[in-house]
Amino acid sequence: MQSENETRMIVIAPTSEVTPDQMVRFVHSLARPLTIKETCYGAMIEGKKDDVMFVLREVRKLDPNRIFSKIRGFPIGDTRRCRAHHGSRPGFTQLEKEWKDLSLVEKGLSSLERGERASEPKKKGRIPVNRLKKIVDEVKK
Amino acid sequence: MKVFIVPPNSLILYDLVERFGHEPLSVMKVIGERVTGLEIDSPPLNVTPEDVKKGLKYAGVEVPSGIRGRLAVWGPLIEQAEAAIVMEDPPYSFGCVGCYRTNEMVKYLLRKKGIPMLEVAYPQDEEDAKRMVSKVKEFLVGLK
Repeated sequence: MQSENETRMIVIAPTSEVTPDQMVRFVHSLARPLTIKETCYGAMIEGKKDDVMFVLREVRKLDPNRIFSKIRGFPIGDTRRCRAHHGSRPGFTQLEKEWKDLSLVEKGLSSLERGERASEPKKKGRIPVNRLKKIVDEVKK
Repeated sequence: MKVFIVPPNSLILYDLVERFGHEPLSVMKVIGERVTGLEIDSPPLNVTPEDVKKGLKYAGVEVPSGIRGRLAVWGPLIEQAEAAIVMEDPPYSFGCVGCYRTNEMVKYLLRKKGIPMLEVAYPQDEEDAKRMVSKVKEFLVGLK
């Protein structure tokens, strides 16, 4: 049963100009037999895997580097998780953290697309003795 | 290729692995099978005797149950893995990665398996993110 059906979270990066409402309307316009739920971060879609993947490919075209997705274990509206039924939402802290980071990941994807090379991280060196002496003098004062 | 991701419920890694043409091995899929499978008793989040046996395969009986419980779910995924990406330093409140010992154990199991493994960190700024994404892409493209 699970191998046929799939639930997906589609998450829009904070820097995107696409809104969850726009995205949900777009998904509806694709006329696939799916359950769609608009959320604060984007949307959840559920249905046959082929339909879900088709919709995901189309939705990504709206803003390829700013729309992200992952599967979800629980079905949409599952009473054990749905807040309307006082369900707990233990994974939300992670989703919130990663949603904030999506704006950074998007920068990475865009720079790859432009063919830019990432700079090497600056190596932390030791403080020169003279600078250390100055700091000691400053603290002594 | 099947790529195991750590944190095993990471949105960023799941998306990147799929974007660059591989199959992510995530905890969501396993949990999905558990919570929708009809054969599992109600409430379906209960640990079954089968889970306990699976957990014991990866960690001894003296190991805390939280570690064994996590490994009962993650262990079979690690066995399937052909490559792995580990994103270090997730905030500890991340639920399933909230156990440091399990995270250590998972890295040990992955290294022991000898599969290609990439270790990156959660990006702190734009340059960090560029480096992280480029490393992940390079790794995933190289797997083909």
